[in-house]
Parts: sequence; structure tokens; C-alpha cells
Amino acid sequence: MWVYLLRRLAAGIGVLFVASFLLFVLVSLSGNPLAQLQANPHISPATIAAARDQLHLDEPLLERYWTWLTDLLHGDFGTSTTGQPVGPQIWPRFWVTLKMVIPATILAIILGVVVGVVSAVRQYSAIDHISTGLAYLFYATPVFIIALVLKDFLAVDVNQAVGHTVLYTIGENTPGIAGGWNLFVNSVAHTVLPVLTLVLITYAGWSRYQRAAMLDVLNADYIRLARAKGLSPRRVFYIHALRNALIPVTTVIAIDFATILGGAIVTEVVFGWEGMGRFLYEGLIGPVSPDVNVVLGWMMIAATAVVIFNVIADLLYAMLDPRIRYA
Amino acid sequence: MAEVRLLQRRWYLTPILAVIALVLAACGGSSGTTSASPTGPVKSGGSLTFALDEDVAGFNILQANDTEFVLQEIMNQVWPSAFIVQPNLKPALDTDVVTSAQVVKASPQTVVYKINPKAKWSDGTPISAEDFIYNWQAQSGNPQYKDVGGKPFIPASTAGYSQIQSVTSSDGGKTATVVFAKQFGDWQSLFSPMVPAHIAQKAGFNDGFQNFGPPVQVSGGPYMIQSYSKGEDLVEVRNPHFWGTRGKLDKVIFRFILNDDQQPPAVQNGEANMVNPVIASTSYYASLKAIPGFTTQVLPGLEFQHMDFNQANPYLAKAGIRQAIAYGTNRAQMFQRIVAPLHPHPATGPLQNRIYMPTQSQYQNTSGGFGAFNPAKAKSLLQAAGMTMGSDGYFHPSFGPQKGQDFTVSISTTSGVPVRAQIEELFQADMKNIGVKIEVKNYDASTLFGTVGPKGEFDIIEFAWVSTPYASGNQSIYCSYTNPSLCGQNWNHYASPQVDSLFSQALTTTNVTKATTLYNQIDAILWKDMVTLPLFQQPQLFGWTSSYGNVIPNTSNLGFSWNAEQWGMKA
Repeated sequence: MWVYLLRRLAAGIGVLFVASFLLFVLVSLSGNPLAQLQANPHISPATIAAARDQLHLDEPLLERYWTWLTDLLHGDFGTSTTGQPVGPQIWPRFWVTLKMVIPATILAIILGVVVGVVSAVRQYSAIDHISTGLAYLFYATPVFIIALVLKDFLAVDVNQAVGHTVLYTIGENTPGIAGGWNLFVNSVAHTVLPVLTLVLITYAGWSRYQRAAMLDVLNADYIRLARAKGLSPRRVFYIHALRNALIPVTTVIAIDFATILGGAIVTEVVFGWEGMGRFLYEGLIGPVSPDVNVVLGWMMIAATAVVIFNVIADLLYAMLDPRIRYA
Repeated sequence: MAEVRLLQRRWYLTPILAVIALVLAACGGSSGTTSASPTGPVKSGGSLTFALDEDVAGFNILQANDTEFVLQEIMNQVWPSAFIVQPNLKPALDTDVVTSAQVVKASPQTVVYKINPKAKWSDGTPISAEDFIYNWQAQSGNPQYKDVGGKPFIPASTAGYSQIQSVTSSDGGKTATVVFAKQFGDWQSLFSPMVPAHIAQKAGFNDGFQNFGPPVQVSGGPYMIQSYSKGEDLVEVRNPHFWGTRGKLDKVIFRFILNDDQQPPAVQNGEANMVNPVIASTSYYASLKAIPGFTTQVLPGLEFQHMDFNQANPYLAKAGIRQAIAYGTNRAQMFQRIVAPLHPHPATGPLQNRIYMPTQSQYQNTSGGFGAFNPAKAKSLLQAAGMTMGSDGYFHPSFGPQKGQDFTVSISTTSGVPVRAQIEELFQADMKNIGVKIEVKNYDASTLFGTVGPKGEFDIIEFAWVSTPYASGNQSIYCSYTNPSLCGQNWNHYASPQVDSLFSQALTTTNVTKATTLYNQIDAILWKDMVTLPLFQQPQLFGWTSSYGNVIPNTSNLGFSWNAEQWGMKA
């Protein structure tokens, strides 16, 4: 098992190195950081030369990559075009995003698996039709529309019905609130709608994969054999059917983690969260676009998160199917 | 901000005030006090959340790159002011800070400020004449005075301060005597507000207040800044060391809801209690009006939207091209679509003056016809400037970096403001009609006013000035950019010795009629040179939860929070 884990980690690190190079090349070549300065006739050539030197633009691309990579390995994300270090800005925002993404991922997994399994077990029943319809609805609806509907309709109506604010639509918590338990409860209340947004756009697809996988397994010969041998329905369902049906869905979830991060960008903007998504947005629309170190910082953290999630998925494969670790 | 400097979204001009100020000056007395406005009983305690649609670029409202209107609203209760502009646009002495301010001598003009003996900063340092001396020197534009590190000060405006000959301390630092080298009619605009000298001398005037930290938390007012989260919120709590009447609310929370469309739901949801958007759309207004228990008022204020032309651009450097763009802009259509549905008094149409507003007695149409909508003339001016119409319907310059290509200029404003996007769309269509291609490049407010504007990284920039009643404040916007210490808000690279001279005359006369004439002469030149294109006087929308009392809109550059220490839940 440890050998398997180390192999997966080594593969993940390799993927990260390749990703870092591709991302650096793509982002570095996607714009001219000096364009604004060069377009202004009142900016002296010396100032432009100094900016070029600061950004290492005179160096060959590979040399710039190596400089950036070695700094990154020392925890230095470089500076943004405003002169501020990227690292101290990005980590607090990463934590903000995690507060949204992690609960959303866990809840979407639970919901997707439960809905998919129930739909499969009760195939063509009313509950199957309803869950299928809802899944397609959420799957086809853009994340910003779901976010706005939840915000402008659900929250307002619920709060008015209750008589005070229980569903919050702006920020991560109420400013100035006292710490401790009150702050925790308040933060959780602020998390409800953003997390629900991500859950709805995410669980929909996963429930369809889970339904299909479950149907395949339930119709497999070994399940029929298990039933014929007289195993209890509960044992057949949980040990033989569900466990095997989770394997393909685990793959999909691992791959889709990047999609959740993408959805978080829009969700953060709609709900006024100062997270990674907004950071990327600002790095892309600023006066110097792209703000290379900001965009690269975001992408590397996102890539690392995706790789870690895939390693976790690999471990789950091994737990779900012991044969995998020996393959 | 967008309002930038003079307070970028509101800045100061002065009509009625100047008259009153001068009359008072002549009488050698001070004006009213801050208790002039009607207030009612409110409870002590609780909090209020004020939704702001722009974040701050820094915290020094007196520094050229920070002077946003939203920052003024934040700092109103933090930094002390000698005078506070009331909702009737008259200045009133803040007796918590200065017990008296009197012109004791006409020539040389001499003003004596008696500082409240109890007045002190929240760190225990007395508010003294040293603060007056430092604030004068930092905003004097005199190169002999330096910021920390020997750097020149970067004040938002030097108006009035540049005319001071000396500020002296007496009475143990509790009396400041200001002697002017040249007469200054708007003297009540000075020392309002004041940066804490003992902090700025160490941390720096230019850079010491750029980021949130201990220097920013020192207060000389009823409230002090407790916390700031970029892009999220700023929380003010009572200043426990304040010597005057304590604020009623425990906290005033400024919440940055940067997209205007998100503010009405936040109000409806109870997450915001007060709004004062940069510029309200009709749908925004309608949404607020439909919320029960929420009061709205629309008032014509000292605020106007405008487009500025950056003369550093080789094409916009030509007056003919700037005039062509102005002739091609259908300002009447903008007024009808954007302003008329909001305005309580269907009025005036496009703005024909950038120094005085139509609601001021000094307002005149100084446009000289340069503000007319005339696409045919626009095209002929572009041809005269050396452009030929291409087959794709756009002019092609015969010179410069765009030679032979579609003539293209960009327009920039703050993102997330639907009305500004509407202005850009209308402008884009107007320009296409005369053969000019427009690119839209919008930024968040802190970037636009902190970087893009001051560094001149734009072709055309659209925002609003929020004026004070003091017309002298216009000098730093329109005087020659070649004098950066005096003209720090001139982002347009405009220079005119004639305008400089007229400003000098206007600022040194105590004759109100003559000053008005001079300012209108300046504006006529600005029209001819097409330095900026005023669009319309902006109706200001004020909205607040009705259960709060003593909320009194103020259309000057101070905005809503001018009396926030009196806000509270109705008793």
C-alpha cells in the first residue's frame, strides 16, 4: 500500500512540474506586461527598461521559468504588478475558497451518490423521473443563474418568512461580529447559499454517473449470482453492488474538482467573497493583463489541489478495490 | 471617486458657500455650528451597515491618489475638521474641534483658530496647532517642505494652502494663527479634515496611510476604524477617547458591495441599511422603492459625470479631434435615458458647465456651442485633422501609431456600475456613427483611481466629480499638469497659462461676483480646449432603513455620513 501511495505521489509531482512549465509558457506569452507603459508617451525608456528588468523579460523564457520555479519552491510567488507580494495575498484567499469548496464537494458527493443510487434502484419510478429532471435542470443551468436565483428569491423569501436574516447573501460573515461561537454560527449561515450553489451544479452530473454505474452493477452476472446464492439483499447491495459502482464515480469526482474551483470563481463574485476566484478575476482584468505572477499563483495552487484530489481518488480506488494496488 | 479628487465622486465647488463664506469673513466672524441640522431622539447602541459600491485605494483623503468619495464618507467621523459643510451647503464650525475661527485682520488676511482644549487624538496626543502647521505644509505645494525620506508631498489639492504665508502656534499649542500671503475667500474650506501630524511625520503623508494599520486607526473624531478587509468591509467603533458627544451607534459598518445590482437584494435581506450609489439606474431605484420600511430620496447635488481626454495620446493631443468626439456625443440622449427617469425635477438637460451646477446661482452655459451634438461637424473635424474615411466606416489616421488603421481610442470607468456601462454603450454607438472605434477597458475603483488615472494610463476616462461649495477646489484639476504639486488631479496632461492665470486671480479675490466671473471664464476656455466633456448633473440617490433616525442626506462632498455620530435606532 505504501509503495502504491508513493508511486501515485511521485506521479502527481511529475504532473505538477509539467503543468508548471506549460502554465508558465502559456501565461507568459499571452500578453505584454509592458503594453500600458509602452503606449504612454510620457513614460521614459528608462522606466520601461527598469520594469522589463524587474519582470526578467530580457531573459530567455526557459531562464525565466527556472527563476520563477526556484522562487516558487522556496514559497515565493513573486510580486504582482502593484508591487505587492503574491504569497501573502493568495493564501488567505485560498482559505476563504476552501471554506466554500470543501463543504460543497463533500455535500455534492453525498447527494450525488444517494440520488444516483436511489434512481438506479427505483429505475423508472416517479422518484427516478423527478431526480433525473432536476439533475438535467441543474446540469444545464449556468452557475451564475443558480447563484442569483438563490440569492434574489430564495434568501429574500425565506428571511421574510422567518422574520429575520437566516440566509445571508453578502460576504463570509457579518463584519464586526464578536468571535467564538457566534462568529462560527454566523460564518456557517453565510456559507449556506454559496455552498448550495456549488452543490447543485456539481451533484447533478455526479448523480447521473452514479445512476448509470449502479445500473450496470445491478445487472451484472456476479450480482445475480450473489442473489442466487442466497446472500441477503443488504449484503448484496452494500458489499457487492455499491462498492463497485463507486469506482467510476470516484474518477469523475476527482476530475471534476477543477470544475468546482471554476464554479467558485463565479460564486465568489456573486456572493461577495474575497477568495481565490476574485483574486484571479482581478489579475485578469487589471491595467496590466495578465498579472503574470497572480495568474500563475492561482493556477499552480489550483493545479496542486487537483493533483492532490486525484491522489486521494487513487487511494480510494485501492480501498474500494484491493486489486488496484497490485496492478 | 470617480469621482476623484476633489473627491472623485464628489468634489467640491462652491457657489452659495463662497458667498456666505466671504460675507462671514468680511464680518470677521465664524459661521454656524454643527448643531444646525434637525435631529430627533434615538437609542444608544446597535449598528448600521452602509453599502458602498467602491473600495478605497488608501486611507489618506488628503493624498492625491486616495481622494475617493467613499473614503470621505468613511473618514468623516474619524479625522477632525474645523468646518463641516451642512446639507444646506453652508459650512458650520465643528466646536468639538475648534471653539472659534475668526478673521481678525483683513490685510494680510489673518485667521485665528481656537482649538478645543479637550481635543486630542485617540492615542492621547493633543490636537494642536502643530496639526494645523503640518497640514498646511503638506498641502502647500511648496517644495521646501518634504515628506519622510525627502520626497515631495503629493496632496490632493493645494487650493488655499498654497496662499498661506505662515501658521504659528501660541497658547500652549491651542491657538493656531494663519496668515495668508494672498487673499483666500474660501478659507473655511481649509483644515477640513486634518491628518494627524504626529503620525504622518513618522509614517509619511504619501505612503503612511496607504495600507490599513495602526496609523489609520488613530482617530480625532467620534468613531475610529476597528478593522478593514479589502473588498469586503470596514468597521468603525466609538472612539473611547472622544471628548465630545459620543456617537449613538456602537458600530458603523461600511460594506463594499461592488456590484450595484447586488445592493437592493442586500437591503431587502437586511444585510445593508443604507445606500448611496455612485450613480443609480432606474431599475436600482425601483427596486429600492419597492422595499417596505426603506426610505429613498433623490436630490440634485454637486456631482456630475464627465469624460476626460488624455492629451498624452498623440491623437487626443489635437484639440480638433477632442472637439470632434464631443460633437459626436449625443449628451441629450444620455440625459433622457439615464437622468430624466430619476430626476425629481425634470430639468436642465446636458450639463453646460463643469465648475458650477445648474442648482447653483453662479451656473451659466459657458459651452460656446462646443457641447452641441453635431455628427457632421465631428466628421469634418476628423478629416481636417488628417484622417480619411475607410471602407469599413471608420476613419483612418494618416499619422501616428494608428496610421492606416481604424482610429481607435479606449474609454475606462469603474466596473460593476450598470449606468456607467450604459454611458459607454451609448458613447460607443455615437462614436461608431462618426467613424471612431471605441474599446472599453474598465477597472475596479481602486485600480482606476489609484493607478490608471494618476498614471495617465487611459485615453478617455469617465467618472464623476463631487464638488464642495468651494470653487477653488477646481484648480488642481484644470491647472497645468506641468506643476504636479499644484495640479495633482490633472490626469489629462492639459496645460494652459491662461487658465493658470485666471485661477490665480479667482483664488485671490474676495469679491464673489468677480470670482464667479473668473471661474466661468475658465470654464469657457475648458470648453474651447475641450479638456473634459461634462455629461450631466447627477441626481444623488440616498436610501436608508426607516427605523434609523437622524439620517440626513448631504449632497456636498461629505455625503451621507457627515453626521453619522447622530445616527441611531429611533427611540
